[in-house]
Amino acid sequence: MKLFITILLTGITTLSFGQPGADEILEKVDRNMSSENRIFESSMTIHGKRNSRTITSKTYSVGDKKAFTEYLSPPREQGTKMLKLENQLWIYSPSTDRTIQIAGHMLRQSVMGSDLSYEDMMDDRKLTDTYNAVVVGSEEMSGRKTWKLELKAKVDNVAYASRKLWVDSERFVPLREELYAKSGQLLKRSTMSDVVQIEGRWFPKTVVYKDMLKQGDGTEFKIIEIQFNQELPEYIFSKAALKR
Amino acid sequence: MKTALKLAYRNLIGAGLRTWLNVIVLSFSFVVIIWMKGVLVGWDHQAKTDMANWEIGGGQYWHENYDPFDPFTFTESHTAVPEEFKTEIAAGNMEPMLVVQGTIYPQGRMQPVIIRGINPGQNIFKLPTQKLDTLTEAIPAIIGSVAARNLRVQTGDYVTIRWRDTNGMFDAAEIIITGVFSCNVPAVEAGKVYIPLEKLQSMVQLEGEATILTFRDSEKERPAIENWTLKPQSELTKSIDEIIQTKTAGQSVFYGILLLLAMLAIFDTQVLSIFRRQKEIGTYVALGYTRREVVGLFTVEGAMHSILAALVAAAYGIPFLAWQAKAGWTMPMDVSEYGMAVAQTLYPVYSTGLIVSTVFIVVLTTTIVSYWPSRKIAKMNPTEALRGRLQ
Amino acid sequence: MIRFLLKGLLRDKSRSRTPVMVVAIGVMLTVFVHAYITGFMGDTIEMNAKFSYGHLKVMTKAYAENMSQVPNDLALLDVSELQNKLNKQFPGIIWAPRIQFGGLIDVPDKNGETQAQGPAIGMGLDMLSGKSRENERLEIQKSLVRGNLIREPGEALISEQFSQKLQVNPGDEVTLISSTMDGSMAMYNFRIAGTVSFGAESLDRGTIITDIEDVRQALNMYDAAGELIGFLPDGFYDDEEALKITQNFNAGYADSSDEFDPVMKSLSQQGNMGQYVSLLKVWSAYISLIFVVAMALVLWNAGLLGGLRRYGEFGVRLAMGEEKKHVYRTLIYESVFIGIAGTVVGTAFGLFFAALLQKYGIDISGMMEGASMMMPSVIRARITPADYYLGLIPGLMATVIGSMLAGVGIYKRKTSQLFKEMEA
Repeated sequence: MKLFITILLTGITTLSFGQPGADEILEKVDRNMSSENRIFESSMTIHGKRNSRTITSKTYSVGDKKAFTEYLSPPREQGTKMLKLENQLWIYSPSTDRTIQIAGHMLRQSVMGSDLSYEDMMDDRKLTDTYNAVVVGSEEMSGRKTWKLELKAKVDNVAYASRKLWVDSERFVPLREELYAKSGQLLKRSTMSDVVQIEGRWFPKTVVYKDMLKQGDGTEFKIIEIQFNQELPEYIFSKAALKR
Repeated sequence: MKTALKLAYRNLIGAGLRTWLNVIVLSFSFVVIIWMKGVLVGWDHQAKTDMANWEIGGGQYWHENYDPFDPFTFTESHTAVPEEFKTEIAAGNMEPMLVVQGTIYPQGRMQPVIIRGINPGQNIFKLPTQKLDTLTEAIPAIIGSVAARNLRVQTGDYVTIRWRDTNGMFDAAEIIITGVFSCNVPAVEAGKVYIPLEKLQSMVQLEGEATILTFRDSEKERPAIENWTLKPQSELTKSIDEIIQTKTAGQSVFYGILLLLAMLAIFDTQVLSIFRRQKEIGTYVALGYTRREVVGLFTVEGAMHSILAALVAAAYGIPFLAWQAKAGWTMPMDVSEYGMAVAQTLYPVYSTGLIVSTVFIVVLTTTIVSYWPSRKIAKMNPTEALRGRLQ
Repeated sequence: MIRFLLKGLLRDKSRSRTPVMVVAIGVMLTVFVHAYITGFMGDTIEMNAKFSYGHLKVMTKAYAENMSQVPNDLALLDVSELQNKLNKQFPGIIWAPRIQFGGLIDVPDKNGETQAQGPAIGMGLDMLSGKSRENERLEIQKSLVRGNLIREPGEALISEQFSQKLQVNPGDEVTLISSTMDGSMAMYNFRIAGTVSFGAESLDRGTIITDIEDVRQALNMYDAAGELIGFLPDGFYDDEEALKITQNFNAGYADSSDEFDPVMKSLSQQGNMGQYVSLLKVWSAYISLIFVVAMALVLWNAGLLGGLRRYGEFGVRLAMGEEKKHVYRTLIYESVFIGIAGTVVGTAFGLFFAALLQKYGIDISGMMEGASMMMPSVIRARITPADYYLGLIPGLMATVIGSMLAGVGIYKRKTSQLFKEMEA
């Protein structure tokens, strides 16, 4: 039903304006992708120079502000937990029984050796709050029609000066995102695929992150299972929960 | 005394080859000791001069948070250049430098790099910063030869660097290597690139700010400035003193043995001359010399070896040492991995103190060694001696 | 005739004892100085070998390419197997696996929250297996400021300056935060066993030394090592030997293009040590030459003096009808015996003292402020093959030349004159 409305709405707006406004598209992406809370199991495959590793984890999150991740495999990472509250991040390692706050320059470290930094995970402000977006055209991508959006930072404390976003014009799922430096140099690209419908939302199950300045095949992020709007006990999002 | 000297001189010259062999060996001691000590002093000078020329000038002010060994401090270690230094900077006698942590991507490999902003027109450092003064699309950059080798880049290459401005926003651009310099101060080049100061300031939005202020004049009294820590030259060069100390200790053993060797020769000569000249000794005593005077005569004779040696040493040593001071002595000490300033070629420096003390030590030891066997004379029975009897 | 001369030498102590002693002392000094110079000048090489290059180093080809970055993701795997192979192929060489790493040291307060944190350079050394003798090699005991050496797994040494900055003491527990071989975040607890001083600012600022097994666990590097450092059997660097071994080893992988295959480099093939090694050879030869020449002059003089002492005797012998030629020849023969005897005795003593100095060294730490690892506090001699024959030049040749020159006097002077000298 929701999908129907979405499509219907899209149809209407498209019809009435020919091309939707950028903020409107972002709004719709938001509506499609975000939920009050979600629980998902995912795998992250990191292509190293020598081998590829896959790390699986289970994440509980509420909005963009709170997230709790527990690593399930490989055995070495099992039991490692990560808690994000607003702009703070803690990691608990069971072998040392220490909870360490990841702050300052440590945020710039890569997450588990991937092309993603902790900081990339931390910025939870809405794109519309930090960027001015304009639609610059439409392009076809993997057989889908997309709107191409250009976002320019309107605040100066974001990591990327501009972004480009390709959004599926029917499903309102981003299919590609590119992050740029102030100079206009492309820094990172994420490509989304395997778009499926889950509980009435369109969701890309696979995302490939790639640091464009670095050689390598990037990091592949896959959703194994996802559930939206579940009952989540509040205690999960406390530092005490890390040690349990 | 004059007679004693004259007599001693005649005796020595009369002994011919024997004397000259001793004198040559002794003169070796002079030259080698002065030369080796000179090399050490030269090393000390050179290392400090190089450090001053390439890295620290006449001393520096560091931003109070700056810690060269912890690049993570760089984001908090910059502030506006103090007003009171503006004239000194304008005159070129102080150079501000901004230090930023970044990432460099040579051939797609990712490596941390320290980006230093420096004024292209500066002349406090020997860095070829004039090569930064060009108009190119990419940012002109100079880099040390070891760093260039490690990154596998050379002049004319374009490399991407990434950094973050003061708000944390990413930025990336290409730099073009406009110059590769080689220097003896590893800390200057290890993991660093140099780009124009103003460019870096605008890249990270820190116009007018700096991390390090280097001044030319090491003599001037420097006041304490808020937010800045004064690092006088003597403090920054402390590590050199320690290495020199070790080397000095190691060399002293060598001097000792060298002197021992020369003394062996003198001692042997003295023993022989006393043995062979008993009749002469007897005659001296018979003529009314006290035994102490005779001992003195022989001691002077032995000690005169060192005087002659000093003259001989001067004859060939001065040209040699002077040539060394000019041409230098090549000896690379590879402690460079750990950030020591050592030159490939050392130019020995000989101070008056060094020469005087060396001459003094050699003459003194020679005198002692000459005196020692002569003591035997005091115990001699003059009549027996006069008859040439062995005692 | 040889027996006759020897008898004469042995019976007349003034003809044998003093000259032999002088020659022996001279030869001893020469041998000793040469060993000392080699040891002293080679000190820098050994220091670099101990700390970073080894006499030999095995790495993966990829690691070798980026050695300055210490890229642990390119580390050697299956190190014990490789080590076995190396032990078989090159018996006598001691191999020590090492891992260098970077990270943060985090000190907890009593609630386990971060109290202090600082960046650290880490060295994982084989401290506990007892096979690699790293403790001895780096003379860690000497540079220990507080606490003890690493005695059991889970212990670490940190630099004294660092311990003060973090306000930790021996016995305290700290957490290392680093990244594993694959780049994951790694956390590992260590108990501070003691603190050390390095004497190099960059290391004193923040260094942690731990047993390699702990590092392997911490960084997920099971049976891996960044580098395998080899030390030649007699403990001193020998460039020719090292190059030979290197060639031998690398020949086994010549056809492979796998960038994770091992490659061996000699000390002289790393950094700019090659230049230093070759210059060292030239310069220690130079200094030894100066010394040998000086010594030769001294012994020449001694030979001369020895001859002069005996002019009286020659006079008698000539008077008794001995030919000048014969007197001269016996003089030379005698000097040959003296030279040989002195050289043998001197070389033996020289080697003995050099060996003492090689083993125990001269402790110069009293001349410096406190002992530290990066500054040699002990000066050692080093015996090289040259020391066994070097003494011959001054000992035998110079002595004989000296006697030859002194003997010329036999021809120059008349018998009566020589005879007269007997009285003197």
